[in-house]
Amino acid sequence: MSMEDYDFLFKIVLIGNAGVGKTCLVRRFTQGLFPPGQGATIGVDFMIKTVEINGEKVKLQIWDTAGQERFRSITQSYYRSANALILTYDITCEESFRCLPEWLREIEQYASNKVITVLVGNKIDLAERREVSQQRAEEFSEAQDMYYLETSAKESDNVEKLFLDLACRLISEARQNTLVNNVSSPLPGEGKSISYLTCCNFN
Amino acid sequence: MANSLPTEFDVVVIGTGLPESILAAACSRSGQRVLHLDSRSYYGGNWASFSFSGLLSWLKEYQQNSDIGEEGSTAWQDLIYETEEAITLCRKDETIQHTEVFCYASQDVNDNIEETDVLQKSPSWVASSTLIKPLDSACLSEETHPLYVSSYEMSAKDTTKNNGEVTDAAETLVKEYCRYKTYKHTVSDGAKDETKPILEDNSDPPKRNRITYSQIVKEGRKFNIDLVSKLLYSQGLLIDLLIKSNVSRYAEFKNVTRILAFREGKVEQVPCSRADIFNSKDLTMVEKRMLMKFLTFCLDYEQHPDEYQAFVQSSFSEYLKTKKLTPNLQHFVLHSIAMMSDSPCTTIDGLKATKNFLQCLGRFGNTPFLLPLYGQGEIPQCFCRMCAVFGGIYCLRHKVQCLVVDKESGRCKAIIDHFGRRISAKYFIVEDSYLSEETCLNVQYKQISRAVLITDQSVLKAESDQQISVLIVPPVEPGACAVRITELCSSTMTCMKDTYLVHLTCSSSKTAREDLESVVKKLFTPYAETEIDKEELKKPRLLWALYFNMRDSSGVSRSSYNGLPSNVYVCTGPDCGLGSEHAVKQAETLFREIFPSEEFCPPPPNPEDIFFDGDDKQPEPSGTSNIVMAKLESSEGSKNLESPGKHLQN
Repeated sequence: MSMEDYDFLFKIVLIGNAGVGKTCLVRRFTQGLFPPGQGATIGVDFMIKTVEINGEKVKLQIWDTAGQERFRSITQSYYRSANALILTYDITCEESFRCLPEWLREIEQYASNKVITVLVGNKIDLAERREVSQQRAEEFSEAQDMYYLETSAKESDNVEKLFLDLACRLISEARQNTLVNNVSSPLPGEGKSISYLTCCNFN
Repeated sequence: MANSLPTEFDVVVIGTGLPESILAAACSRSGQRVLHLDSRSYYGGNWASFSFSGLLSWLKEYQQNSDIGEEGSTAWQDLIYETEEAITLCRKDETIQHTEVFCYASQDVNDNIEETDVLQKSPSWVASSTLIKPLDSACLSEETHPLYVSSYEMSAKDTTKNNGEVTDAAETLVKEYCRYKTYKHTVSDGAKDETKPILEDNSDPPKRNRITYSQIVKEGRKFNIDLVSKLLYSQGLLIDLLIKSNVSRYAEFKNVTRILAFREGKVEQVPCSRADIFNSKDLTMVEKRMLMKFLTFCLDYEQHPDEYQAFVQSSFSEYLKTKKLTPNLQHFVLHSIAMMSDSPCTTIDGLKATKNFLQCLGRFGNTPFLLPLYGQGEIPQCFCRMCAVFGGIYCLRHKVQCLVVDKESGRCKAIIDHFGRRISAKYFIVEDSYLSEETCLNVQYKQISRAVLITDQSVLKAESDQQISVLIVPPVEPGACAVRITELCSSTMTCMKDTYLVHLTCSSSKTAREDLESVVKKLFTPYAETEIDKEELKKPRLLWALYFNMRDSSGVSRSSYNGLPSNVYVCTGPDCGLGSEHAVKQAETLFREIFPSEEFCPPPPNPEDIFFDGDDKQPEPSGTSNIVMAKLESSEGSKNLESPGKHLQN
């Protein structure tokens, strides 16, 4: 099993208010589908897509909230060991933009401080109903030191770009990390999934 | 948005502790529509883990909680029909008692503006900042932030002129202390030390880091402090369930690195694996041989009845004396391996426990125990995630007023929540602490005594400072309880760098402090003492300590609750034991009772095996074994299976 067919594996986590199109973004990117069939989300923990960037295979494990954001009850463990966060709002919904600071608080509290966060304004296909101007969002993302992108899961605008750019950034971060690997400060992800721990029997 | 909550479910689960969460996951997994509620703002109930500020808010919440009178509103009673009866649920959580907080770390005057501010406003802080006592009596400020944001709130306030909630609380506590001064500790010299923080510090050995209280507060989010301290037996029920259900993919684990013993006032490492025994510098050759021989025998003691038959009637400790083991080896086996310090245990029980320990040993590492990174509180949440993935709906901060019982059938048919909404279901699972006094009138509870310490050094120094240790301190007097200690280092993601998080647990006979303080004093020394004699210098120093008692409802039988309908099932809070076997058993038993023909937590489909009709432009190359599936395939995992985090370092 040692020939896993990829060079990098990253965990990307989506957050943001209910109804802003998180699942649609994931489905559009991983399957090219819109709108996603409703029932199919049941039992799906995360979606996988392997992309090739500069000749390297990058496997993206993309996690959705499983609906726990609906009543603001996301488990902290959802944020742990994420390499990147996609914080999503709906450009036609002021409320979803106004909730961003609350989401940032959760990120601050539970996510690794090395996590890369991207701010995404979704639904630009509904530009005529826009409630959040691009400029406001840009200012906000700059102030919070986040990347920012507007997308349409429906029209497939910028969706590919969102994930591929993110993958590029993750690769370069990962490279830097290996170079300056500070042993004394443990990174999240240093623990192991259960079956990885090695065996050394008493007998 | 909250109005979109459906009003009909198959199962309503109240409480997000471990057994409730496992049950919720199991129900949802088998296709039931599950609503999972918790009246608190955080997951896990008494199984939760908190950041430092989160823990302080939790303490405060308990304070405020007990002040809540009857809210008066009985409007929900109008929603009960004539053919129905209401069983009121509990308003306040009474599972935590005797909370006492002590701060020994110095309050560095030069640290930041906000701290100085406190000093100016409250001179008493300087005088007694090394001791904060007791929270019980403190009147606390009016904070209403949901718990999960409190740390952020605080750091935001730190930079402004306002005092953060923590300092507010601390201040109040100190004032309280000045008024009551009920507890005398060796802290009087501390004040000098603090007003001139640079002084005398040079006399310290160079390796001792100086951690101040404000550093702890500032780095507060690095802490994940467990309310119950538990570990996973590597061959235990919880591990098996995590692997079987694939819930293990939501968490990461580490092995406990060493088992320690406390004997004749000294902390020693217990050699338990073959390698440990051979490498031990403390054991003589003869001892090594004796111990190896005995442990090898224990692994298949059933095959050699002649070896123990004559001692079936005697206690395990008596039996050990006949096995040609030196006293230290006897101690190791009895207290640290069999972990049978408390009751006089029989030879057979002792052998069984020893065998179990040895069997757990090989699976993942050099000790039989695992623990989740980021604290125990992750585990219930992982099951909740599983439940949500299968359609379970989650609402924290959601109170339930009452259960609605149909008079004719005697079955519970709905709940009424704090919005006065009626939510109906077929089955109801309620955690013990949500039940009212009336329901629990005949229930006898046990208590757990807990202490949480933040220290600056390990109880046993080793080459690596990243050790995770378990230490059993046997009772001094017969009949008392052994104290179980786990010491966590920062790489477990439960405490800040250069500190250790130490958990003490025993079943209560008195208040937590009365039960545990003597052990704390044996192993640690308060931070602020200026004249430390050489002996004391070796001990780790206490920076901060919390004592509390937690209700242990694990032994309560269903029949002792008054008037619960048959379709209302009760889950209990955490027990005192080291593992979580009780919670897993309870969840499985209840699940089988409710859904006898359903499988309990079967593995979900692998996300990578789910194919949709869509045109996946880049399908996974066929034949690639996939990481997720492999990760979850029980034990003998191949070594290339790594968590995403690991892969970053490729």
